[in-house]
Amino acid sequence: MTDHQVRTEEKYSKILLANIYKPATLISILLLIFIVSCAIFAPLIAPTNPYDLSVVSIMDSRLAPGEQMFNGTVAWLGTDGAGRDVLSAIIYGLRTSLVVAISSALIALTVGLVVGLIAAYFGGQFDAFLMRIVDIQLSFPAILVALVLLALLGKGIDKVIIALAIVQWAIYARTVRAAAIVERRKEYIEAATCLGLSNLRIIWRHLLPNSISPLIVLATLQTAHSISIEATLSFLGVGVPITQPSLGSLISNGFDFILSGAYWITFFPGVMLLATVAAINIFGDQLRGILNPRYTK
Amino acid sequence: MQSVIVLFVMSLIVFSMINLVGDPVDMLVNPESLPEEIERVRRDFGLDQPVHIQYWKFLQGALSGDLGNSFIFGRPALSLIAERFPATLELATCALIIAVTVGLPLGVYAGLNPNGWGSKIIMSSSVLGISIPTFWLGLMMIIVFSVILGWLPVSGRGEIGSFLGLESSVFTLDGLSHLIMPATNLALFKIAMVIRLARAGTVEVMSLDFIKFARARGLPPLRIVRFHLLPNILIPIITVLAIEFGTLIAFATVTETIFAWPGLGKLVIDAIVNLDRPIVVAYLLFVVTLFLILNLLVDILYAALDPRVRLQGDDK
Repeated sequence: MTDHQVRTEEKYSKILLANIYKPATLISILLLIFIVSCAIFAPLIAPTNPYDLSVVSIMDSRLAPGEQMFNGTVAWLGTDGAGRDVLSAIIYGLRTSLVVAISSALIALTVGLVVGLIAAYFGGQFDAFLMRIVDIQLSFPAILVALVLLALLGKGIDKVIIALAIVQWAIYARTVRAAAIVERRKEYIEAATCLGLSNLRIIWRHLLPNSISPLIVLATLQTAHSISIEATLSFLGVGVPITQPSLGSLISNGFDFILSGAYWITFFPGVMLLATVAAINIFGDQLRGILNPRYTK
Repeated sequence: MQSVIVLFVMSLIVFSMINLVGDPVDMLVNPESLPEEIERVRRDFGLDQPVHIQYWKFLQGALSGDLGNSFIFGRPALSLIAERFPATLELATCALIIAVTVGLPLGVYAGLNPNGWGSKIIMSSSVLGISIPTFWLGLMMIIVFSVILGWLPVSGRGEIGSFLGLESSVFTLDGLSHLIMPATNLALFKIAMVIRLARAGTVEVMSLDFIKFARARGLPPLRIVRFHLLPNILIPIITVLAIEFGTLIAFATVTETIFAWPGLGKLVIDAIVNLDRPIVVAYLLFVVTLFLILNLLVDILYAALDPRVRLQGDDK
């Protein structure tokens, strides 16, 4: 580890320490940890298994929050039209939402990273061509592109992930390229070329580690974004299938009951969705402040 | 030229891929019909031919302004879209107006007093506004204003009035009461964006010399805001909003589904669910064209508003 790196890391940890005591950061981090562990340990935490048909009883349909279910468990957040416990459904739904958002973000990140680095490294016509595609794609709103893709791909959780990845890769590619093109002109890349290293090695070992930092914040904010998009798509009925509902499909499920006053079926999943997206957004904003102090001033 | 290529490539991709999903004939005929009956329907719609021949026919039609007939409605797809578009346009325009009238003052206020309590509240609610799922908020609005309070109607467009040849819900009281909830819902996301843009612009411009000079001349603060600050922060806001107008039309899909607003979005969602291919293809081409036009308009608008852009062009 070079001297410079040590100093940078010291600087980061200092800023991190100064920031972690800010209430906004602290609350968002705690909330995130809570949400993620809820999703991971869903079967242990949830009071009932909402998809076990032997437990779910139609007798429990549309109980108000706090009422007791047929088998004695209290439905703290009420039950939906089919008699499923809303709280359990939310915990399981969170799982689907996070899996879709995180895996699509990872795929998009990888594709965007490769395209961005290659475009920046080789430059010229090739770069211009790739960036033209990126420009064209980014001029359309994400929700529209995703909607069209799902209309073309059909239904299924894997298809939603593919659609969201296609929607997002362009923004990663553009960000990486912007960072990599600055690094590309620096002397260490020139030195590596003079040493006769292969293109692949230069890109992988030298260009990549130095261009990746702007992606950290972007990936955080994009994950929040893709949770929202997935929820919206599921609400429109083109997202994840009914058998594996996400928070969006739970909200859509309650849509039919709001006029009869059963607000809890839509209200609580939405609160969870809002909390998740807001926590990631606030965390991302703080992270940007930590990694790039100029931004916050 | 590039726009034409984009349009062509989009139509090719969409047309070939949409043919891979499902069989629209299944949706059109009675499940109990005889095989001959099914074959007849398939032939009538030209679905028995290979994809490239279908595309060639479509292209020939498209160049003469005919994007095919809807499978479900049996009418030209383009005229269905033209019929529904005014409702969506009306919704998006109202949302844009709401976003600017609410967002701009709040953002400028937050920018002028960056450390005050008011601006802290405004800024934190804008983070919330960006995070909140629009469709969920729409449902909550229905619960509060229609179910609990009973003030506003839940769905539809209401009575349509006509004024100076324009037909719109804005011109009748009933129409307005139908419009207010969907428009506010659609505007919400944009309000948060306008607040952030206006605040960032205000903070930047207020520290510049010409503002200091205006202050030194003893001009009243309101005059400084009106004549010195606003013209300078409006350029980026207008540019972004013009681009975002397209997003509003796309997002209207969601709002229209919630409030049963009879616009484009509702049409296309139904078409996707029912595998009504001509409508989906026509909608896409329509939206792509709309976006290309909007982007062009933004470039022109930008040159008109900012003399520096024009000067750059002259150098070449």
